[in-house]
Amino acid sequence: MSFGLPLLLADSGPAVHIAPGAVFQLGGLTITNSILYGWICIVLICVFFIWVARQVTVKPKGGVIQLVEVAVEFIVDLVEGAFDDEKVGRKFVPYFVTLFCFILLNNWLGLLPIVGEGFQVGGHPLLRPFTADLDGTLALGVVTMGLVYTASIRESGGLLNYLRHFFVGNPLNPLYMFIALLEIISDLLRVVSLSLRLFLNITIGEILYVVFAYLGHIIGPITALPFTLLDVLVGALQAYIFTILATMYLAIAVNAAGEHRNHDDLTEDKLPETIEVTRQGAGA
Amino acid sequence: MVLPTETFAATVTQTQALQTIAKGLILGGGFIGPGIGIGLVGGSYLQAAGRNPGASKFLLGQALIFVALVELFGLLAFASIFIVV
Repeated sequence: MSFGLPLLLADSGPAVHIAPGAVFQLGGLTITNSILYGWICIVLICVFFIWVARQVTVKPKGGVIQLVEVAVEFIVDLVEGAFDDEKVGRKFVPYFVTLFCFILLNNWLGLLPIVGEGFQVGGHPLLRPFTADLDGTLALGVVTMGLVYTASIRESGGLLNYLRHFFVGNPLNPLYMFIALLEIISDLLRVVSLSLRLFLNITIGEILYVVFAYLGHIIGPITALPFTLLDVLVGALQAYIFTILATMYLAIAVNAAGEHRNHDDLTEDKLPETIEVTRQGAGA
Repeated sequence: MVLPTETFAATVTQTQALQTIAKGLILGGGFIGPGIGIGLVGGSYLQAAGRNPGASKFLLGQALIFVALVELFGLLAFASIFIVV
């Protein structure tokens, strides 16, 4: 056999799908394999958490329930700790716990052999991880950043007040205008960076199994195993990163709005000397 | 068994050869930055954890965030090799 030769000739490599494939039609809409997989995950997560909620008791029980409690409490602490005011943070906890669990389940169930390139129907994989589809992660990013923008506009009291926090200092100074422009652009790019990070991590994981299973030939499952184990870590890490970055974006916006409101409440005697001087200078 | 050089000359056109070189350059060049970045993040984390071991658990979470921020650029480089057709 000619080992290594298939690598030189790029035509005969393993088939890798980057885009999701259509599985069936439903009322004029094309249902792709990633949508199908996303639905399965949603059903699983609903059934599991409803079952867990029924089982939870005041006196701690062992088993799966305890693991779920630990995981949920980890995220709750994370989200609440990021906000200055814990009561404000508590409002957003359910969304972030759901987000974390959904991404984690998506990433981990994607490691099963029946998901991905290993199990194909009609030239396309039957199931594809929802997070390995740019449409899916873009939807997650848009929903998350929509929540962030809505919450920060509401907390700062109006769209103009929210936009004002980009502009610091004298508005006529071109440097401050440039900084504000950069800030706004980098703020809008967060949707892209959040979704691309998750998508690329999971998709490149999928590509790596296919490539290394192909290189292994007969012992393909064994050569692909280390990368599968690596992706257990990467999947959990990416779910954590997505959640904590979204939390931080939200917390920064909400905390800044809260500070802005408190700033007006400061009485004269509480103001330090230096701030007083600069404030007068800016007003003149 | 066919010698690789003979097959290479026969089947690989100049365009394909250039594409292979381009993919190699994209991967090699694109991974330099994230490699340096992850090294700096990890080194700083170890320094901070060595100086203040009590805070190491908190710092690990923060370091992982920055690893993920840096890693995105390496992944972008990896994804770019698929658009070289």
